[in-house]
Amino acid sequence: MKKVIRLVSVQLWAMLGSMFAIGEQKKKKTDALYVGFAVFLILMSVLSFIYAYGTGMGLKQFGSIELLPSLFMSLTSVIVLFTSIYKVKGTIFGFKDYDMVMSLPVSHSQIVASRLILLYAINIVFVLIIMVPMMMAYGILMEPGIQFYIFSLLMLFLLPLIPIIIASFLGTILTYLSMRFRYSNIVYMIFSFLLLIGMIIFPYFMGDSEQALMEMSQMINRQINNIYPLSQLYFEAVTKGNMVSLLIFVLVSLLAFMVFSMVVGKVFKRINSVIMTGRFKANYKLKGLKSSSPLKALYIKDLKRYFASPIYVMNTGFGVVMLVIGAIALPFIDISKISGEFDITGTIKDLIPIIITFCIATSSTTMASISIEGKHIWIAKNLPITGLQIFASKILVNATIIAPALLASVFICFIMEMSIIESLIVLLSALSFSLFVALYGLVINLSFPNLSWSNETVIVKQSTASMISVFTGIGMAGVQFLLMMVLGNAISGILIFIALLWILNFALYKRLSNSGGRQFEKL
Amino acid sequence: MLSIVNFSKSYKGGKKAVDSLNLEISSGDIFGFIGHNGAGKTTTIRAIAGVLDFEEGDILIDGVSIKKDPVKCKKITAYIPDNPDLYDHLTGIGYLNFIGDIYEVSQVDREQAIEKYAGALELTSNLGDSISSYSHGMKQKLAIISALIHKPKLLVLDEPFVGLDPKASLTLRNIMVELCRDGSAIFFSTHVLLVAEQLCNKIGIIKDGKLVAYGPTKEVKGDSSLEDVFMELIETGNSIM
Repeated sequence: MKKVIRLVSVQLWAMLGSMFAIGEQKKKKTDALYVGFAVFLILMSVLSFIYAYGTGMGLKQFGSIELLPSLFMSLTSVIVLFTSIYKVKGTIFGFKDYDMVMSLPVSHSQIVASRLILLYAINIVFVLIIMVPMMMAYGILMEPGIQFYIFSLLMLFLLPLIPIIIASFLGTILTYLSMRFRYSNIVYMIFSFLLLIGMIIFPYFMGDSEQALMEMSQMINRQINNIYPLSQLYFEAVTKGNMVSLLIFVLVSLLAFMVFSMVVGKVFKRINSVIMTGRFKANYKLKGLKSSSPLKALYIKDLKRYFASPIYVMNTGFGVVMLVIGAIALPFIDISKISGEFDITGTIKDLIPIIITFCIATSSTTMASISIEGKHIWIAKNLPITGLQIFASKILVNATIIAPALLASVFICFIMEMSIIESLIVLLSALSFSLFVALYGLVINLSFPNLSWSNETVIVKQSTASMISVFTGIGMAGVQFLLMMVLGNAISGILIFIALLWILNFALYKRLSNSGGRQFEKL
Repeated sequence: MLSIVNFSKSYKGGKKAVDSLNLEISSGDIFGFIGHNGAGKTTTIRAIAGVLDFEEGDILIDGVSIKKDPVKCKKITAYIPDNPDLYDHLTGIGYLNFIGDIYEVSQVDREQAIEKYAGALELTSNLGDSISSYSHGMKQKLAIISALIHKPKLLVLDEPFVGLDPKASLTLRNIMVELCRDGSAIFFSTHVLLVAEQLCNKIGIIKDGKLVAYGPTKEVKGDSSLEDVFMELIETGNSIM
């Protein structure tokens, strides 16, 4: 156990160092970053509390307030599960310091355990942000005894273990299956997307037509258990003070952790060896080469780099994939059936631009496009090309990734029977926002680069650049929504949003052309 | 071909990695840059290659400042770092073709160069494989081929012989001599003093960021071996300028 803790501490500090790595490591900038991160955590906790309190009030009306902890526990677990599956490759398998770690006198299962704890560390912050405010909200609404707080705190730290293990198990299977294929990364990504989409869609097919007849609290309870069976143990322990449930929960979590470490420890070396070695044929014969312009060469190189990283694709492509699937599914969905007696077609129409903006906001590839160069940055810096050519290539890659979302937007407008003017405005909004996302991501990544990463997950998911980029993007979707609400007219709101985007796009472009090249040279 | 004028570079914290360096390399020169670990060789080389930003002094390649017109300088320069981390997601041939595209080398010229140098370094059959499967030596060979594709006027190499097998080392030495005969200039760092003595017509020895010996190889070493001269300069702190 001592060795595992030592391994974890080294890897954890390396990860935290990478997360907060910023360009020149100026003290002032680093301090500002820590303060910014603390403010962000507090803000998210406050939002979480408001959400928990609101949900608690709603449940109280139905006399089901005791379901609040298990509801939040299930939702947190499901989110941890979803977001951890595609972190497996890069954290447990195919991580950069594999050679160094494997040369140490520690067993494979100890290494797996240390990597699992690393995943745990990544997730526990998120769990705390959700669950602690929930405990406070529940405390105010229910005024439970001290036992609730003790049991909740104890279980809170074990809560992410099982979802991480399930995610790691599924991730291991995905990695194992995909490594048999020549283009294993592509296969891994397709499998991952299918799995995630399947997990999202599956509960709808499990729907019970008689649910409406059941008592509200029973229905919610059943749904929670459908989402996550362990929540029943949590429910019994936290709200009813059942010690046996608590012990079973603790035992199941710890046992699963140990068993998984041992089992995966058996295939750990084999899978990693296949992933790390690559294919070797040594039968190449020189044949006619195709030449292209420098920009096209850069673009193809950057596009190949993007698709060589499953975590990068999964993290920045999911919004686009969901929008495309949504667009394809739309003709088969009967909106009147969902809404019942209320006509919500108009509301959905108004929400479409927001949904499109939201999906595009999560699809910034440029926010990590400089950092992903990593130790290869010397090549780009040594080539006889300008910074603007490099930036143009990265923006083109982002445009390529977002392009299906734009096509899906056109299709959605058509299905929703929007007028040509409405459709054009929605499309213009999507186009303008796509450009914003690409330009903004690049500006942010140039300001907060991280070239010394040892794990792609850090720069794609946990870096300062990625967090600022994604949350600003989502914030922009909020701005669009507010504009539409304040003006009371969706079209006017979108038009002002488009105007705002073009002002921002122009400012970002000027920033890149004036000082971007210099920033790149200084990397 | 290469003029380094009062070039200085400081570390964060103020210590000078290179202090007021002045050098002149002409076409046809093979210049060996020698120094102990941390003396400032790599810092200088990275600045010449346009990879490292610097504030003090200037570096001119064919009369053009790397600070003022880096793209023009890089067009006629090739650089191979001490540890060539190449794009792992590309195949060997994919990488060479990428470099050919960026330097706008014609299809015929790049095919001829690849055929010639990949053949000489015995890497042709591996060019279809992913760079991620390459050994350190194979990556080094690929970096050498990519540096030669556009017939550079100035070749800058940082420890080019590290990781190469004996045959490839000899091939590289022959390539370097051939390039200089054709009018290119070569600036390279090495710890293998025997190679420097045999290959270079000019030598520079750097100690703690300052040049302590510089000139034609014969003048720098005199009647002693380069190894003796180097050891004496490093231990006594004298200079031969």
